[in-house]
Amino acid sequence: MDEILDGLTQIDCDILVIGGGTAGPMAALKAKKKNPKANVVLLDKANVKRSGAISMGMDGLNNSVIPGYATPEQYTKEITVANDGICDQAAVYRYAQECYGIIQELDDFGIRFQKDQNGEYDVKKVHHIGTYVLPMPNGDTVKKALYRQLRKARINIVNRYMATRLLTGEGRIAGAVCVNTRTAEFLVVRAKAVIMGLGAAGRLGLPTSGYLYGTYENASNSGEGYAMAYHAGAGLANLECYQINPLIKDYNGPACAYVAGPMGGYTANAQGERFIECDYWSGQMMQEFYDELQGGKGPVYLKLNHLAEETISEIERVLHIVERPTRGHFHKGRGTDYRKQMIEMHISEIGFCSGHSASGVFVDEHARTTIPGLYAAGDMANVPHNYMLGAFTNGAFAGLDAADFIADVDFAAFDEAEVEAERTRVLAPTKRDDGIPPNQIEYKTRRLVNDYLQPPKVTAKMELAQERFEEVREDMEQGMYVRDSHELMRALEASSILDCADMAASASLYRTESRWGLYHNRVEYDRDDENWFCHTILTKGDDGKPAHRKQEVKPYIVEIAEDEKDAYNNQRVGASVAAE
Amino acid sequence: MPLAQTATTVPVTVNADLCIADKGCTVCVDVCPLDVLRIAETEDGSKTAYMKYDECWYCMPCEADCPTGAVTVNLPYLLK
Amino acid sequence: MSGLFEDFDDIADLAEGLDDPVPGARIMAVIDLTDSADPAAIPHLARAIADEDAGVRKQAAQGLTDFDGPEVAAALVSALTDPDPAVVAAASVSLTELKDPTSGDAILPHLGDANEVKLTACLAGIKELRRPEAMTPAVAALKHAAPGVRAQAVGVIGWLQDETSLPALQEAAHDTDVNVRRTALAAMGFSQSEAAQSALIAALTDPEWIVREAAAETLAKSGGPSCIPALRGALADDYWQVRLKAVRSLGKLGATEAAMEIAPMMDLPVPNLRKECAAVLGELAVPATASYLKKYADDNDPDVRKNVRWALERMAA
Ligand SMILES: Cc1cc2nc3c(=O)[nH]c(=O)nc-3n(C[C@H](O)[C@H](O)[C@H](O)COP(=O)(O)OP(=O)(O)OC[C@H]3O[C@@H](n4cnc5c(N)ncnc54)[C@H](O)[C@@H]3O)c2cc1C
Ligand code: SF4
Ligand code: SF4
Repeated sequence: MDEILDGLTQIDCDILVIGGGTAGPMAALKAKKKNPKANVVLLDKANVKRSGAISMGMDGLNNSVIPGYATPEQYTKEITVANDGICDQAAVYRYAQECYGIIQELDDFGIRFQKDQNGEYDVKKVHHIGTYVLPMPNGDTVKKALYRQLRKARINIVNRYMATRLLTGEGRIAGAVCVNTRTAEFLVVRAKAVIMGLGAAGRLGLPTSGYLYGTYENASNSGEGYAMAYHAGAGLANLECYQINPLIKDYNGPACAYVAGPMGGYTANAQGERFIECDYWSGQMMQEFYDELQGGKGPVYLKLNHLAEETISEIERVLHIVERPTRGHFHKGRGTDYRKQMIEMHISEIGFCSGHSASGVFVDEHARTTIPGLYAAGDMANVPHNYMLGAFTNGAFAGLDAADFIADVDFAAFDEAEVEAERTRVLAPTKRDDGIPPNQIEYKTRRLVNDYLQPPKVTAKMELAQERFEEVREDMEQGMYVRDSHELMRALEASSILDCADMAASASLYRTESRWGLYHNRVEYDRDDENWFCHTILTKGDDGKPAHRKQEVKPYIVEIAEDEKDAYNNQRVGASVAAE
Repeated sequence: MPLAQTATTVPVTVNADLCIADKGCTVCVDVCPLDVLRIAETEDGSKTAYMKYDECWYCMPCEADCPTGAVTVNLPYLLK
Repeated sequence: MSGLFEDFDDIADLAEGLDDPVPGARIMAVIDLTDSADPAAIPHLARAIADEDAGVRKQAAQGLTDFDGPEVAAALVSALTDPDPAVVAAASVSLTELKDPTSGDAILPHLGDANEVKLTACLAGIKELRRPEAMTPAVAALKHAAPGVRAQAVGVIGWLQDETSLPALQEAAHDTDVNVRRTALAAMGFSQSEAAQSALIAALTDPEWIVREAAAETLAKSGGPSCIPALRGALADDYWQVRLKAVRSLGKLGATEAAMEIAPMMDLPVPNLRKECAAVLGELAVPATASYLKKYADDNDPDVRKNVRWALERMAA
C-alpha cells in the first residue's frame, strides 16, 4: 500500500455524489429512491462507514423544527436575525418546513432521538423564542444506520478516492477527476449531475495546540469542496463570514452548551457568571466571547459545577460517549472534573462552514449551485447555520432535484486536456527528487492564516497575508515533494487549504464593512447597511484570482417586523467594537 | 535538501497479542477517516496493525470497531 | 479496475467463512455478513451467535443490530443467557435497536423469565415496539425484586400510553427505588386523569429531590387547575431544581394566582431559577409583578436581563 502507481480509469454514472459524510448519503438515497434506474455513485476520500463530522455520532439535533415546539416562520426569522439579515430565506424556510419529515425518516432508519417516558420526542429549549434541540441518546448509531440504508439501496460506494477537480463542458457539469489515496491512480467519473457534500474547510486556521489535525471539524474535511467549486467557476457566497467556534481549550472540541444548557450548564466568565447575550451560536456570540477575554474577565469556562451530581453524571454520559468520545480521556488526563472545576474554553481558529455560520458555495432552495447540474449541500453550501439536520435535509433536496435533472440530459462533453492538466498538477510533487514536504506547506499556510486573517480583521494584515500566500504558492507549485501516495493526498489537501486561505483573505478585503460579529469584524469599518446589505459572491476571475460581486438578498418570505429586529438588538450588549 | 527524520510519539497504540490482522482483519485501517493506520509484519512473521502517520483526529472509530479490543486511542501529546 | 466499488458479495460465499477453524477468521466473516446489510445474512449470524468462541458470538450479537425481525430477535434473546457477559451486553444493546413490531413475537414469551438480566433486556427491547400484549407481563414485573427490572417495566407501560395502566403506575410511584418512582411519574405524562394528577401531587413531597423534580415537571403535561395549589407549595422546595420545574409548570398552566409568589423568587441567588421566573412572569403577565421584574432589568446575568425585558414587553402589549 501507499506506493505511487500509474493508472487511469474512466467510469460513467448518472449522478456522482462526492462526500459520503452526512449530506452525501442522504442525497444518494433520495436520488436512488426517486429514480431507481439511475446509476448513483457515492465517492469518499475516507470510508463511508465512518467518514465525516458524524463519524462517531452526534449528541443531538441543534435545529429541529418540530410541530408544536417551533414553527418554520419562527425558525426562519431567528436564522435571518442571527445572520444579520443576509439570508435568502427560501432555502431556510424550505428546510424548516421539511426537516420534520427527515427526522421521521431518520427515525425509521433506526437513528434514535430522545423520547420521553411516553415515547414522544423530548425537545429541549435552548433558544429564546423557539425550541429546537432534540437530543440523541444513542447518537452513536447514526452513521451505522445510514450505511445500512446505502447498502440496502445498492448504492455504488467508492471509498478512498479523493475528488480533486470538477469537469465542466457545454456550460454545465460533466464529471470529476479523483485520485486514489493509497495508490495515486486516477479515476475520471463522467456524470450527468454531481452533488457535492465535502463538508467544511476545517483545516484552514491552525489550532493553538499546533497539531495540524487537532481541529474542530473532521480533519479529513480540508476544503476541497470549496476549492473544486472555485476552480470550476461556481459562485461562493459570503466567505468572509468565517466559522469561529467556542470550544474546549486545547481539546478543540465542542463544549456542548447545547447539551448542558437545558440541564442548567452554561458558558461563564472567570467570576462564574453568564455573560453571553446572544441566543444563537453566531458571530455576535463569538464577539461577546472575544470581548470578555479581551476585557480581562476571562478565561471563559463551561460551568457545570453548580449542578447536582445526578445531573452531572447524566451530562457526562451523553458528552463522553458520542460525538467526541475522547473528551472523557482529555478531562481525565488533565484531572478536570465537571463537579469541581469549570472547564476552560477558548476561541477556535477560523474555517469555512455554513453548518455553523454562512460561508459556502452559493445554492438555492433546491441545493443548485450556479453551475447547471452541480449541487452542493451540508457544511460547504451556504444555507446558514444548518448543522447536521440541515445537511440531511438539503442533501435530500439535492438528490431529489438531481434525479429530475438527469432525466433530460446526456453527458456533457468536456475537454480531455483538462484531465491531462489535472494529472500533471496532481503528480508534480511525485516527479521531484527532493523538496518541501506537504506538512510544512500546510503548516506555514495555516500559521499565516492565524497571524493575519484571524479576526478582528485589519486591512494591512490581510494584504500581508496575500503576499505571503503568494510565496507559499510558489514554493508549493515549484518545490513540494512527496514520497508515497498518502503524502500525495496531504499535498493535494495543502493545495486546497491554500486556495481557501486565498479566498478567505480576498473575500474579507472585499466587504468593506463589519458584519456578523466577530466573524467579519473589520476594525476600520462600521456596519454599513446602505452599501453592504447584500451577499458577496466570489468566483474565479479571468486572471485566475478571486473576483467579487455583490448580489441582492432576495425579498423575505417571512417578514421581520422592525420591532422584532429591535427586540433582538436590545438584548445585545452595547457593542464595544465596530461590529455594531 | 534531504528530509530530516524527526521523531513523534503517536497517539494510537495496538496490542499485538489481541490484534487478529493475521486472520485478514483490517477493520481499523478501513474505518480511519484520516487513513493513518496500516498493517505491519512483526519480527516473528505475524501481522499487526499500527499507526503509521501521526495525523490523528482522536475520533475513535478504530478503537470502537476493532473486534478484539486491541486498539487504544490516546490524545496526541501536543494537545493533551 | 476491479474492487473499485464496495462489493455486494454472495451471502452464501461470505457465510463459508463461518466454518473456518480459526476464530479470528470467523469474526471477519461475521463482519462481512453484517456489512452486507442483506437480510439473507440473518440465519448465518444467528448461527454465529452460538459459535464456540466468545469473540465470534459477541461480534454476531453486535452485528445483528443492523437487522430486524422476529428471527433476529430470537437469536438475540438466545444470547442473553450466554456464559460470557460481553456477549450478553452486546445482545442487550442490539435488542433495544429493534424497530419492527413483529420482532416482539420472539420477545413476548420471555417477559416472565426468571433470569434477571434476560428479563431486563427483554423489557427494554419490547418497549419501543409498543406491543399491547406486553402490558400484563410488564405490570407483573413491577413486583420483581430487582429495581432495574421494575424501572424497565415502567418504561414499557409508559410507552403504551394506556389509561388502564394508571393504577399500576400509581403503585410504582411509591416504589422503594428512586429511579422507579421517577420513571413512573414521568410515564404518567400522557394522562390528564385525576389518578395521574393525584399521584403527581403526592410525589411533590417525596423525600428525594429528583422524584419531586420529575413530578413538578410532569405536571406541566398532566396537570390542570386543581394541581396549582400543590405546585405553589413546591415553590418553597429546598432544591432550586424542583422550584424551577414548579415555576415552569405553573406558567404552562396559566396560574396567574401564583405570580405574586413567583415574583419574589427573583431575589434568589440562583441564575437559572431567576431566568425561569422571569420568563414565566412574562407568560403570566400579571401587572403587579412588573415592579419585581424592573428591579432586575440590569441583572448581572444576561439571560435574566433578557427574560425580564421580554416579560415586561409582553405585559406592556
Ligand atoms: C465535533 C462536531 C460536533 C457537532 N455537533 C453537532 C450537534 O450536536 N448537532 C448538530 O446538529 N450538528 C452538529 N455538528 C454539525 C454537523 O455534524 C455537520 O454540520 C454535518 O454533519 C455536516 O455534514 P456534511 O455532509 O456537510 O459534512 P461531513 O459529514 O463532514 O461529510 C463530508 C464528507 O466528505 C468527504 N470528503 C472530504 N473531502 C473529500 C474529497 N476531496 N473527495 C471525496 N470526499 C471528500 C469526507 O470524508 C466526509 O465523508 C457538529 C460538527 C462537529 C464537527
Ligand atoms: S481492527 Fe483490531 S484486530 Fe483488526 S487489524 Fe485493527 S487492531 Fe487488529
Ligand atoms: S482516532 Fe480516528 S483518526 Fe486517529 S487513528 Fe483512530 S480512527 Fe484514525
